[in-house]
Amino acid sequence: MHPNAATARRKDNTFTAALPTQMYPDPRNLPSPLDTARIVSSSQQLSKEPMNWAGDMDGVARLRDRDCFMRIYDHFMPRLCVYLRGLGAPEAVAEELAQECLLRLWLRAAEFDPAQGALSTWLYRIARNLHIDRVRHERSWTLVQAAVENAAAADVLDRSSAEQFADHARLRQRINELSAVQARLVRMSYFEAKSHGEIAQALGMPLGTVKSHLRRAFLLLQSKVGGAS
Amino acid sequence: MNPHHHLHESTLMSYAAGALQAPLSIVAGTHLEQCPHCRQRLRDAEALGSALLEQTQPVLDDTRRETLRAAMLAQLMDVDPPAMPPPERQAPPERPQADPEYLPASLHPYFGDSLASLRWRWMAPGVHCIRARQMPSLIMLKIAPGKCLPMHSHGRSELTQVLRGSYNDALGLFAPGDVADLDAEVEHQPVTAPGVPCICVSALDAPLVFSGWLARKVQRFVKL
Repeated sequence: MHPNAATARRKDNTFTAALPTQMYPDPRNLPSPLDTARIVSSSQQLSKEPMNWAGDMDGVARLRDRDCFMRIYDHFMPRLCVYLRGLGAPEAVAEELAQECLLRLWLRAAEFDPAQGALSTWLYRIARNLHIDRVRHERSWTLVQAAVENAAAADVLDRSSAEQFADHARLRQRINELSAVQARLVRMSYFEAKSHGEIAQALGMPLGTVKSHLRRAFLLLQSKVGGAS
Repeated sequence: MNPHHHLHESTLMSYAAGALQAPLSIVAGTHLEQCPHCRQRLRDAEALGSALLEQTQPVLDDTRRETLRAAMLAQLMDVDPPAMPPPERQAPPERPQADPEYLPASLHPYFGDSLASLRWRWMAPGVHCIRARQMPSLIMLKIAPGKCLPMHSHGRSELTQVLRGSYNDALGLFAPGDVADLDAEVEHQPVTAPGVPCICVSALDAPLVFSGWLARKVQRFVKL
């Protein structure tokens, strides 16, 4: 399936003929939040397909639509918990931070710009920053991150939100093509937030080897993402 | 500013993962502020993190899930702001880039905002330095023009961002905006360009390793 076709795809696996100008689905035709919860929890195949959240995000930002929000919530809440626990947050803290992360989405939905990247990337940044701020208490990171985001706000991004979505779908496919060792190092970096020195030590691998494996993994993934550089 | 020497891919991934140690992340941030190319690669590295996030297999038991869900719905009622149109993207605050003395914002908490107000300490002939407040492995260096530093390598990793002036080593010319992302496998002997002093900010996560006996002796006194 062409990734863009997922624009019109709903969680009940039917297709709507949504026009690009009317991307958000009509809330009346969608399953109730409880139905959605059941569908999401009972279907594994959905998690393999990237989902385009532009419609639901538009519903949240412009219409303050709770059903749209809860669909996003149901998808991301358990995943954010897994991510935050992996970083070392105790169960209760992981749940609290994941809730806060999604509450921010509700409050700041209008700031989300699909041309800047996938919704999951936006949430990933919020969760990562919250964890560093609340669990690791690294104020230096927060200040640096604010300075970098400030500079990034001036960047001109020439990709449409549809292209961004296609990039993201391709990226997800390419992750499965990493070698076993690349996949392991990438996961240790992102999901255990281990420094390269710590990874090298844990695996008894020279630091230079860790770095060059990660570099090759990044180039493999990036060369397929939108042809940037 | 269009830098020619960039962050290593593994450094960008580590930054995106929130796994870079504080001093290294401050120097990486200094470079990212000045380098649109690395900011784009950082977006890609963050997209990788989010793609991994989406591929996780959630394991949250149903009753817990329902409790949290109900709590979230209750909070939505409490905090609901009125529906509003997306705001105009606010322009970033004016950055006094015209002022050549202005330091990148990532460095402000440690060195203030201006090169002109730095209070340098003598370290060795032709070399002055300032250690960051509360961040001993973050240092600012000022090296006199036309100066040849002793050959050295780095314990684990070093990140150096050039702010002023320039230097040459086996890896090429490093000018303002360029970052040297080095590790134990690189041994280098920087030579600063004639003209103005070279000012750079460095993060070391282990002491430098000098290869000459004289330099090693000096190191005992200057503690780099």
